[in-house]
Amino acid sequence: MSLLRVEHVTKSFSGLVAVSDVSMEVEEGELRAVIGPNGAGKTTFFNLISGFLRPSSGRIVFDGSDITQLLPARRVWRGIARTFQVTEVFPELTVRENLRIAVEVASGYRLRPWLSRHSAGKVECRVGELFEMSGLGPRADRRVGELSHGDQRATEIMMSLALNPRLLLLDEPTAGMGDQETYDITQLIRKLHKEQRVSIVLIEHDMRVIFHLADRIMVLAEGKMLAEGTPDQIAASEAVQTAYLGRAA
Amino acid sequence: MTQLILYNLFNGLIIGAFYALMALGLSLILNLSGVINFAHGGFLAIGGYLAYTLMPHIGFWGALALAPVLTAALGLMVERILIRRLYGRDPLYSLLLTFGLAFMFEDGTRYLWGPATVPFAIPDWLSTPLSSDFFFLTGYRMFMVVLAFVAVLALFLLLNRTRLGIRIRAGTLDLETVSVLGVNVRILRNLNFGLGIYLAGLAGVLAAGMLGLQPTIGSALIMPSFVAIIIGGLGSLPGTLMGGLLIGAASGVVTVFFPSASEAVIYVMMGLVLLVRPRGLLGEEGRF
Amino acid sequence: MTRLPKHSTSMVVWLLLLTLPFWMSAIGGYTALGSRVVVLALAAMSLNFLLGFTGVLSFGHAAYFGLGVYGVGLTLKYLLPNTLVGIAVGVLAGTIAAAVVGALIVRLRGVYFAMVTIAFGQVFYFIAYRWNTVTGGDDGLSGWRRVPIELGVTRLDILGNDKAFYYLVLFCFAGAVTAMAGLLASPFGRTLLAIRENERRARFLGIPVDQHIWLSWVTSCMFVSLAGALYALLNNFADPHDLRWDQSGDFVIMAVLGGMRAFWGPLIGAAIFVVLQDYVSSQTENWMSFIGLFFILVVLFFPRGVLGILRRKSAS
Repeated sequence: MSLLRVEHVTKSFSGLVAVSDVSMEVEEGELRAVIGPNGAGKTTFFNLISGFLRPSSGRIVFDGSDITQLLPARRVWRGIARTFQVTEVFPELTVRENLRIAVEVASGYRLRPWLSRHSAGKVECRVGELFEMSGLGPRADRRVGELSHGDQRATEIMMSLALNPRLLLLDEPTAGMGDQETYDITQLIRKLHKEQRVSIVLIEHDMRVIFHLADRIMVLAEGKMLAEGTPDQIAASEAVQTAYLGRAA
Repeated sequence: MTQLILYNLFNGLIIGAFYALMALGLSLILNLSGVINFAHGGFLAIGGYLAYTLMPHIGFWGALALAPVLTAALGLMVERILIRRLYGRDPLYSLLLTFGLAFMFEDGTRYLWGPATVPFAIPDWLSTPLSSDFFFLTGYRMFMVVLAFVAVLALFLLLNRTRLGIRIRAGTLDLETVSVLGVNVRILRNLNFGLGIYLAGLAGVLAAGMLGLQPTIGSALIMPSFVAIIIGGLGSLPGTLMGGLLIGAASGVVTVFFPSASEAVIYVMMGLVLLVRPRGLLGEEGRF
Repeated sequence: MTRLPKHSTSMVVWLLLLTLPFWMSAIGGYTALGSRVVVLALAAMSLNFLLGFTGVLSFGHAAYFGLGVYGVGLTLKYLLPNTLVGIAVGVLAGTIAAAVVGALIVRLRGVYFAMVTIAFGQVFYFIAYRWNTVTGGDDGLSGWRRVPIELGVTRLDILGNDKAFYYLVLFCFAGAVTAMAGLLASPFGRTLLAIRENERRARFLGIPVDQHIWLSWVTSCMFVSLAGALYALLNNFADPHDLRWDQSGDFVIMAVLGGMRAFWGPLIGAAIFVVLQDYVSSQTENWMSFIGLFFILVVLFFPRGVLGILRRKSAS
């Protein structure tokens, strides 16, 4: 059984169709890339999966149950976490506080007015793990708003990971980054995928990143699915060449 | 009994028209600039008092024409000097600032014109009843209904047919695009503020003739105007108009049966609307 | 930044508050003025729990403050002469009303939320204002007084002894403020900061934002109604103006003036505001204009508040 199954999803905004009859299946442990020219409906597609928007028609099934109508928070509880194209963090709080909030919510402590020493220790321990994995440790007590773009992005990814997701949705994780930062983030994503066994769907523009990471690629253009396949198949596909790669070049 | 209900319904509709005039001005400013103008009631009072002061010199009609314009000019000044600085900041600050202004206006009018209700003379021929059966149909009441109607009609024509109006409406939907298209947003917001205050001034002159003029007239009318906007739906001017008339009529009718609840009823209505339809009757989804 | 108070700062604050009755008269004040500052500071700090630490703008907190006021007044006048029961009734009334109103409005945001809180605040004002026979209408509710508290072994004479009353107020203040500080340092409190910082991120971390805002709102209103209850006892009088919109504005300006992002900010704001109001209203009839002008000056020149400015100075 596949982890995520999107069935014939359509979303229109007052007549304007942003996503039209798109289907997708993501297997457990897969890393899937979604590519397409600007305005292809990639982010809208993500918003439908994460619950930011509801589809006009179609169904979304996660781990065997229909989540089409669930609120975002409930989808998170079931194991879908996401990042945004424009980094969304808590800028006035430190990296440690950002991660701690995520860990506490994931541990089911969000309504607790106090924590036992034992629970607090567990949270501390998990935050430490996340620091180790990401290499953000040296900047733990800096405010996130002061950090570089790459570190903010890494913080956001680690917050999402703190939720112990089964599926991680990354919306253009390397957007607006220099070569070194892009490389670092790519390595981080790779590491999470291999070591933590998280299934990942990511939107990306940088072809190097995609061909380096993805197991399978889906191509969207003008709201419709154009092609789907392994990186090699997509690179060889003529339809993709003309509609997307051709135009991009 | 029927006559009593009709009387109060009609009365309520007139009051509702005040609420609507005031709420439309508030809405214009809120929609384009994101500012809740707490001082709107203060401007209304100033409109009324200016008319009162001008009347001995230029007569009722002159005052009716001139006082709202002067009030609007004051509004333009206030926007330029104070409110403009707060655009784009947390709405908390503009609320506090206009709150302070409301205090100053209320106290200022009390200082200049005294705390007592001042007599506001309307032309004799307007104050006589038109019909012996329906004693409440005085000329002035009819006149107010007509004038409020004309004002609202003129406002909607302005917004739909003139360049300024179309720009205001476009700016309400997407200020950034409008500014990219070369519209001077500073001037647009300034004029829009003035327009809103003009409506407050006009409502002030009319209200003075009906309710009597005292420094607290503004703070008495501003809360129902908020309720009118909330019931009608934020971002929708027709909604605001509808909300104003609705609460006016409702509180008019309730006065017949349960006078002490005439104020509370509009808040109950607001609660019901929020329960069933949080964005208001004609509010757009996702705007707030 | 949101730092919970440093230990040293808090120590100084508590020391000053504990010794207040002994130095207040030396600087030209009186104990009741000190009580007033502490009570209104509690109200402003409660509001700030929502405003500064959850990022939700309420302009209608006077309603729940006022329910505390009338809860005490009505209990002591009609029900039974017991101060503690009065306080309990006041807090309960404010909290229940807030829970109901909160459920109607938590889905709204920003200016819309502010506007609806203002409008809802007026309901309770009109009830107090109109229901003459019970509430005394515009004249307010008088003909009752706070009652000394029997503690079994001893008797706390809060009626005859201003200092005793001050310490009762301070005791309640300490309890409420400690509870709020504790909440803000807890996982729940951190979700509120998260909502203030970035609602979208909070939602996609799996925080049901509306539910948390409702809880924050009810908590905030509960403590503000405690402040109201104490305020009624302080004045031995319930005034309908205590639940009007201008009172809400006073609370907001206190929080802003002292610094919304600092835990003790509203306390400083309340102290400045109360002393200033006390002075200005004794000097001129037109104190409303001065208070209005004061609002405008604060917004234009001190939007970060006293503590915001101090912190910025020390950071640079």
